Amino acid sequence: MMFRLFWVIGLATTLLGQPLSYDPNPMGSIKQPLILRTYLPDPGLEPAVLAHHHRASKSPKYSPREGNDLPGEYEMIQTIPAGIAVNHGPALSYVFDTTECRLLYAWQGGFLDMFPYWGEQDGGRRRSFDYVPRLVGNLFHLAEPLERTSPQPPRFLGYDIREGVPTFHYQKNKISYQLRIEPDDSRPLSFQQILTTGDQVEVSIVTGEILSQHSGFERELKFKEANVDAGEQVFLAYGCIACHSTDGSRGHGPTLAELYGNTRQLANGESVLVDESYLRESILTPNAKTAAGFPPNYMPPYQMKEKELQALLLFIQSLSPAATSE
Amino acid sequence: MTFQSSSFTALWLLLTVFATASPYLVEDIALPEGTPPEVGAIDFAPDGTLFLVLRRGDVFRAIPQADASNWQWEYFATGFHNGCGIDALSRDCVRVTQMAEFTEATDTDQDGTADQYRVFSNGWGLSGNYHETNALTGDGQGGYYLAIGTASHNGPTAEFTLGEYSKFGRRGRNYSAVKWKGTTLHCDAEGKLTPFCYGFRMHNGIHRDSAGHLWCGDNQGDWRATTPLYHLKKGGFYGHPNSLVWDPRWPADQDPLATFRADLEGYNAYRTLPAVQIPHLEMNRSAGEPYVIPPQFPHFAGQMLLPDNNGTRITRIMLEEVAGEWQGACTHFLNEGGLRSGNHRLRFSPDGQALYIGQTVRGWGQPAEGLQRLTVKSDQEPFDVDQFSITPDGFQIRFTQELAEPAQASDFDFHSFTYQSKWTYGSPQENKAMHPIENIEAIDSRTLRLRLADFTAGKVYQLNLAKLHSKEEALIQNQLFYYTANRLPEQK
Repeated sequence: MMFRLFWVIGLATTLLGQPLSYDPNPMGSIKQPLILRTYLPDPGLEPAVLAHHHRASKSPKYSPREGNDLPGEYEMIQTIPAGIAVNHGPALSYVFDTTECRLLYAWQGGFLDMFPYWGEQDGGRRRSFDYVPRLVGNLFHLAEPLERTSPQPPRFLGYDIREGVPTFHYQKNKISYQLRIEPDDSRPLSFQQILTTGDQVEVSIVTGEILSQHSGFERELKFKEANVDAGEQVFLAYGCIACHSTDGSRGHGPTLAELYGNTRQLANGESVLVDESYLRESILTPNAKTAAGFPPNYMPPYQMKEKELQALLLFIQSLSPAATSE
Repeated sequence: MTFQSSSFTALWLLLTVFATASPYLVEDIALPEGTPPEVGAIDFAPDGTLFLVLRRGDVFRAIPQADASNWQWEYFATGFHNGCGIDALSRDCVRVTQMAEFTEATDTDQDGTADQYRVFSNGWGLSGNYHETNALTGDGQGGYYLAIGTASHNGPTAEFTLGEYSKFGRRGRNYSAVKWKGTTLHCDAEGKLTPFCYGFRMHNGIHRDSAGHLWCGDNQGDWRATTPLYHLKKGGFYGHPNSLVWDPRWPADQDPLATFRADLEGYNAYRTLPAVQIPHLEMNRSAGEPYVIPPQFPHFAGQMLLPDNNGTRITRIMLEEVAGEWQGACTHFLNEGGLRSGNHRLRFSPDGQALYIGQTVRGWGQPAEGLQRLTVKSDQEPFDVDQFSITPDGFQIRFTQELAEPAQASDFDFHSFTYQSKWTYGSPQENKAMHPIENIEAIDSRTLRLRLADFTAGKVYQLNLAKLHSKEEALIQNQLFYYTANRLPEQK
């Protein structure tokens, strides 16, 4: 996407990143996290975590044509209605909930696939009863139920942004809290939590382990045969472009330009020839080998159909003209 | 940072500016390239800066430029969930009604972007449904009236909701499963919410006029025979049953939808009728935000505009107070003439000379979205009807210009029909009748008084006007008008 940028003169302490675009996989960065309020997935929170939410019930299906109930009931969806999602690039994503006033979950690797909610650029159609955005990445932290839940609902007050990073303000039992969450690059699958209450500042590192892996919304891509063009469709649809450039520039993940057919240095000091089997492994089980200079766990495993995978491999090969022309 | 729209857009703009017989110039105001122009709401700050909130969450601001293609947009704030109401308090502070909350965003350090986001008000629910957007208008005392949208049966409800859940509220086509959906709330200057009135299906836009009257439209659909315009009063019920579950006066164990489905007579006695019923195919399929034309605008000052969110048109409404209640007539302000579809938010520039139109239909129809600006080509009003008033036995009609020739009874073809709102998606025009002109009287060179046969209240009167010409040889701009005669004035 091309922008003609004019930087506002002066020192901006709260710089916003790129505006949102048609890209269904928006990402922020470590310095300029993206804040997105939207319906958010519930990746398996215990109901007790959502103690201050209200409970809906199944409702009889309704025929707007007849004005009567129909057999069957509407299923309820699992979504967090009033959460705030924050993304620091592949290093950290998390959801702060304005109803419970606490961190609900955190993940690494990607952010949200907004495709089911935002729809295509042209049609703009949400996915009817299935529009909750999907996680992308490795979930490593889920909030546990609190030992004691106050009958008094917590009160969300808002947030401030300093150096791009939000600090959430809320009250529980009339006590004011400020919570700031930042990526922690000293160890994998972790984040730093800074909780301020009055004069007290409590800094803690929260570390988790991979609880579940998410690769976004399953697309229905329509193409007849696996070729380079179809592969480009796959590359865009799965949001690969958010981390992997095709022109040699450095992104959150290694560039795909001149990758195929060359040797890749790995984080463990070994090296490997980038051939079809290495690429296949890196897409399906990315943590099997980590490229040197890039952190582990950033890339979630992608489940894709064999034909999509074949097309994607052809597209990646096409980005190394020298290797493929031999 | 700022963004400049591309010269390509400028070229495209030149090609699309309509040079037709329309009295208005409609220009596309380009948004930053690559930005989905899904305009949730627009507003001018007191210093003349125009703010817009986009539905994915971004807020941009710009100082309007004469050259539509050369605006410098500044990226002011982000992170709002489907914000469909914005109040620009200053160049550094906006308040946005997003899905779950009414939020104030302030640039406290004057670096050009908001750094402080505060809950200004909250307390309505959110069920997880895609349809539940909210709109605002000021109350004239630092507070607001908020139009709290309903959910649609085309989407689900979450198991864990924000706010109290009602199983009766959940019933039917458009529903109010969680607190205060389908109501209008009053929000005082401190952010405290109180229900103001009930019975909305989807009032996508609300407007308080300079006299303090509160207005909203709605969308033709269930319990909406056609597109309505409502004049809102405290405690009123405006016809869509589900939100009654949030009215403390309604029995808690009673399903309002089932109640009124079985008892239309009781429904009619309980509800307040629309001030104006606007035929949805002919005039306006889906009302956006009503807005009264300010005195400085050269045409039809003081009349009301109602954008069509599902058509390339804006309705003009001529209101009058009859026996203590508002009612009136509608026709097109502009039909096509370069307008996109998706029209739903209106603001006049501070000098009152330009009308800005915010557009979005994403998620409903084929995307038609963005920002347009409408200005007059000439200060002279087009030849049209500018006053449509009811009399005890018919109508008095005033034209903007003198007629070329004295009008004849045969120039006026009056029909009438009735509407009954109910559970169906819209209702047909019923009890159709003809109303021959029994007498025509010229009050002056541009005003006529017409006596109609069988003239009674409780109907919508349709006027098909002949191709009249003005003395200045202009052809009449509109030939189709509808007057909602809820009441007749008393004989003097």
